[in-house]
Amino acid sequence: MKPKIWAKSPKGYVLMIMVAFLGIASYVSHESKGLENALIAVVAAVVADIVCCLFEKRKRIFPDGAVITGVIVSLILSVTSPWYIVASTSVLSILSKHLLAYRKKPVFNPAAIGLLLSVPIFHAQQSWWGAFGDFNALFLLIILVGGYWVAHRIQKFPLVFSYLGAYLIAMFVISVGIVPIGSETLHSGDIFDALRPPFINATLFFALFMLTDPPTSPAKTRDQIIFGMLAAIAGAVVYRLFGGLIYLYIGLLVGNLYQLLRGMIRPQHRAAIRVSE
Amino acid sequence: MAKMNKKWVVLCSAALGAIYAAEYFATEAQALPHNSERSQLSIPSEASSPINSAAPTLPPVNNVAPSSPAESAPTPSSSKKMYNDGSYIGIGSNRRGSIEVTVTIQHDKITDVEISRFAMHYSDRDVVGLPDEVLQKQSAQVDNVSGATYSVRAFEDAVQEALSQAKNA
Repeated sequence: MKPKIWAKSPKGYVLMIMVAFLGIASYVSHESKGLENALIAVVAAVVADIVCCLFEKRKRIFPDGAVITGVIVSLILSVTSPWYIVASTSVLSILSKHLLAYRKKPVFNPAAIGLLLSVPIFHAQQSWWGAFGDFNALFLLIILVGGYWVAHRIQKFPLVFSYLGAYLIAMFVISVGIVPIGSETLHSGDIFDALRPPFINATLFFALFMLTDPPTSPAKTRDQIIFGMLAAIAGAVVYRLFGGLIYLYIGLLVGNLYQLLRGMIRPQHRAAIRVSE
Repeated sequence: MAKMNKKWVVLCSAALGAIYAAEYFATEAQALPHNSERSQLSIPSEASSPINSAAPTLPPVNNVAPSSPAESAPTPSSSKKMYNDGSYIGIGSNRRGSIEVTVTIQHDKITDVEISRFAMHYSDRDVVGLPDEVLQKQSAQVDNVSGATYSVRAFEDAVQEALSQAKNA
């Protein structure tokens, strides 16, 4: 693919925005460690992706998706994370893309599953620094502008809106006790925290850039709405029960499982219709 | 494909913004106790008196009831002493949560540090070894645990605040 055409592709758009976020977050925080981590994450992801593609004997090897995964991983992991945790999280993400696949398509969002696994395996701390979680709340506008641009380009607005709507409503319903799900520890699962930086930054970044990943999210409007609602409700319940920062990923994995089941059931359903005809 | 009309995009965005704003302001009431608790605890004052180190449970600092002088009054100290003897509570907080510690001081030495409440959005395993480090170094400054900066900072702030309260005026 020619560079000009690639730059106008959904992956091109996402990568440009992620790199812009990386630059802005590094500049504002006066922190170069984030850039180092990004380089480590991208190199690790690209190498892992090429090795996996060679092993699978793929004809076309173009690790642009791995570059995006690496940048996203580096934007979410704390800038003080050691290099081996950054590299390992990237590799885990890429491995999940190749190993957990159905009909040659990844089942789970690679970055989400890598970051989720990095918590129990490496005790990785995730600061979402690339989502401007430590800065003024006005930086949320940058996420919204970049995210809307991507959502428009890849036609995922129904998914984004259903996710955010269900997320806000689920948080409210759970926090006022309409659904009696409690949290034992103070702050963990507080709706107060969920609506403020860095959590709201993480939620918007997640909804606009990770949830909408084309290979692992549905295309049809109806499926997008169900997918978004499932991910939001599951995430809100996990947040309320356990707090922490992994609730977004678990919600997404629930959505990904729904998408997988839809993909598995549809062909069988169609075959059954053909037989009955 | 799920192409969405611009009008619908604007309408949905406005609806989401309204829900978010409503929930944000509704939770401001919840925010006030958090903030008042934090600000009250961050100012070392005579009101935040030391508590009895032998007490089995530690009441929150902002709810410390006036107790008998024999139990709670600082040990009379000589003018050379840097800290008053007793147990002091400090809280360190940031956008990722808060940590409350109870620091016990005897004869200008930190003799015990206990994490009495861990409310970070991270695992408590990151800071489990830090109380021992404070005892060894006799300082609030501990080695940074790689990748656990927010929890370590909150812990250090909590210990520093407890030490500030203990300081002999």
